[in-house]
Amino acid sequence: MADIVSEPLIDGETVAEKESPRRFSLGTVISFGLILGFLALLGWGLVQVNNGQVDSGMAPDFTITSFDGETIALSKLRGQVVIINFWASWCPPCREEAAYLEATWRKYQDRGVVFIGVDYVDTEKEALAYLEEFDITYFNGPDVGTRISHDYRIDGVPETYYVAKNGELRGVKIGPLAPPELDEKIEELLAEQYP
Amino acid sequence: MLADIGLMALVTGFLLAVYATAVSAWGGWRNEWRWVESARSATLLAVPFLTISVVVVTYSLYTMDFSLAYVADVSSQAMSPFLRLTALWGGQSGSVLFWAWLMNGFVAAVLWRKWERDHDLMPYFITVAMLTTAFFIGIVVFITNPFARLWHVPGTTELLTAVFQPAGAVAYVARDGSGLNPLLRHFGMIGHPPTTYLGFTGFVIPYAFAISALLSGRSRDDEWIRTSRRWTLVAWIFLSIGLILGGRWAYDVLGWGGFWAWDPVENAMLMPWLTGTAFLHSVMMTEKRGMLKVWSVSLIILTYSLSLFGTFITRTGVISSVHSFSKTALGPVFFVFIGLTFVGSLWLLLRRLDTLKSEHELESFLSRESAFVLQNVLFLAITFVVFLGTVFPLLSELVTGTKITVGPPYFQKATGPLFAVLVLLMGLAPLFAWRKQAAGRLGRAALLPLVGSVLWAAVWGYAHRLHPASYFALWLVAFVVLLIIFEFVKGMQARMKRGENPAAALYHLMGRNRRRYGGCIIHLGVVMIGLGFIGDAYFQQETQMALAQGESLTLGEYTLRFDNLESYPGSDGREVLEATTSLFKNGEFVQTLKPRRDFFVVQRQPMTIPAVYPTPAQDVYVLLVAWEEIGFGASTFRMYLNPLISWTWAGGFVLILGTLVAAWPERQHQAKRSYVLKPERVQPGLLGGD
Repeated sequence: MADIVSEPLIDGETVAEKESPRRFSLGTVISFGLILGFLALLGWGLVQVNNGQVDSGMAPDFTITSFDGETIALSKLRGQVVIINFWASWCPPCREEAAYLEATWRKYQDRGVVFIGVDYVDTEKEALAYLEEFDITYFNGPDVGTRISHDYRIDGVPETYYVAKNGELRGVKIGPLAPPELDEKIEELLAEQYP
Repeated sequence: MLADIGLMALVTGFLLAVYATAVSAWGGWRNEWRWVESARSATLLAVPFLTISVVVVTYSLYTMDFSLAYVADVSSQAMSPFLRLTALWGGQSGSVLFWAWLMNGFVAAVLWRKWERDHDLMPYFITVAMLTTAFFIGIVVFITNPFARLWHVPGTTELLTAVFQPAGAVAYVARDGSGLNPLLRHFGMIGHPPTTYLGFTGFVIPYAFAISALLSGRSRDDEWIRTSRRWTLVAWIFLSIGLILGGRWAYDVLGWGGFWAWDPVENAMLMPWLTGTAFLHSVMMTEKRGMLKVWSVSLIILTYSLSLFGTFITRTGVISSVHSFSKTALGPVFFVFIGLTFVGSLWLLLRRLDTLKSEHELESFLSRESAFVLQNVLFLAITFVVFLGTVFPLLSELVTGTKITVGPPYFQKATGPLFAVLVLLMGLAPLFAWRKQAAGRLGRAALLPLVGSVLWAAVWGYAHRLHPASYFALWLVAFVVLLIIFEFVKGMQARMKRGENPAAALYHLMGRNRRRYGGCIIHLGVVMIGLGFIGDAYFQQETQMALAQGESLTLGEYTLRFDNLESYPGSDGREVLEATTSLFKNGEFVQTLKPRRDFFVVQRQPMTIPAVYPTPAQDVYVLLVAWEEIGFGASTFRMYLNPLISWTWAGGFVLILGTLVAAWPERQHQAKRSYVLKPERVQPGLLGGD
């Protein structure tokens, strides 16, 4: 090995000399532009994924048509407390909270509270069977093209968003609801003043 | 206690990798070979340490040490010992550790074997390869540590995951783990993930060689290209096996009747395979004729970058897919890493373009060279189409605010014609001579296969009268298969004239030029795989019907009779609902088929397991889709006829066989000869091979 040690391994000098004069050809600019653009896209996607749920500020507006063909818009519900629940028939934890949601709706429906069930990535037949199974009577409709889920940046189901009378978000519950948290939240929101 | 040993071994492995990176860079820079020697020793020494931590994790999974968060996450008492062992790569922490271990193993294997031959590149090679390895081990140590324990803070309901005891917390041992995702509880777990990882990690070797060559300015020398080709072939064959096993797994478990769905993660694996295949061809031009150097180097870099990209989208959930792992802090770190890799490699490549000048020009449109160029362009075009479809949801979200996912029809329509041209080229290109091919000679060689395949396609088309594109597809496949067979027959005939028997003739023929004939066998395998895709695209038939006991449904020549339905507790924590059905072909009983619906009780997740009756012509694929809860009176079955799918799996074996023929290390004297042999002028037909 001794003979190898004395031998120059890497000619750092030569490497530096060989460098071509600094020119930015069109090809170089385009190559870097594409790579950086692509990285920016990935970075943006990563930020989107890691952003988490929207849980403050004005609730993103949406229009949804129920399984019965009735349509409502969130912006038309000012003055009322709105509970938006994302669910799916294939989601086991949704089953845990289904009865509690329905019972709470029945309790508050005459006091200016609106429940909107948003059915996320589902098939209509299974969804209707689910609604029937739990005797769910509040408004429920499919999230066509997952637009609403996207606007609220949901991570999964179930997720429940609380909208105050003035249309602002007052938090989000990730995972199934258990008594009495929904009651408490609704009482709190009902107590808010709205002109 | 045992976990502590694993943790210490892991940290030691990490320190060794960092040390190897640092001192090989230092040694290379200062021209002090002893530092490079030291870096080599550190790299080799890291292998046993990482092996210890892999063994400890596996052992903990097997013995169900539920004090470890990773074990509690992916192992459970209901799982069979086999699945508990494979859970090593069933979740984030374990799979990244496995990944880092394999990568370290590859680098060590190169240093063990090629130490003398690529002497000058070694400082760079160790720096690049071990930097990457250190990054992955670092992720395991700092972000997703499999030795992290569960902790409980008294008075709260939350459990913490941390390597060291958090303040005020006490150790917690879960009573049982949640166990692997039900989709992973399958025999395929032993094959698909490890081969895929071997493929992905293996590409670091050619990449590190390419970067070393660029860094050192020695990319003009060709020796590193030869070494890279070998290692690319190793990674490539594992990736191919991983792809085929993945398809087989999906076919057996996912229950939609197919084996390839253009899911983002499938695409993430296909893209490096495509560019890797392109590289394996362009590198022949670089070796033989000193051409396409820029292509070859770019393709290695691209292949490695695409495998990183694939890993990135799988691990971070940036593009949603069935394979998505749970979200972790991995995203930002990984993003910075791939950003630096992409930009750094591109910068280096552009900086060194002048060292990659071609030694020859294309001389004729009809030549082996131009066939290779066309082949490369086609592969890149397919890669681009797949890439665009894969990132389209992200692009559309950025531009329009809505995620639009493009489905299989886009991929099929856009890649179909490109693949068709590629298959044609695959049959013809081996007939082309280097430099210039005489058109007449080519015409004579292709005439018989052409006539034979056209006749066959016409007869078949007349008999079946299905989609016109299907005649074309089957003609193409027949043509290419005949071309390949004729190629073998011609070679054998020449030898048999000299008195060899057919078997000996075949053996000696392949032995004389293994890369050429191995390549032909690989091509044959690819065509067979293509048959499955053609069957899937044009000839799949399906039907669905609710049957009472004793009733039957018919599809094509086959009739399925529903006999019975029973429920029993199965292994790995599942409730099995199994239908017994009898399959008849033209009224004759063939086989009993038992499609199932497995229900994983803890996860509340159902899984549809098809029953398959495979034949070379078509698979009968039966699913149990619905049933009466009480009395098991009537059940609904979906039945598919999947033509030609068996050919895809058989093609996979042929492909592996061909690769073995082509890549088996040559005996020393042969290797020497092929190194010296780099003729300026090659006589067509004489040395047309390889």
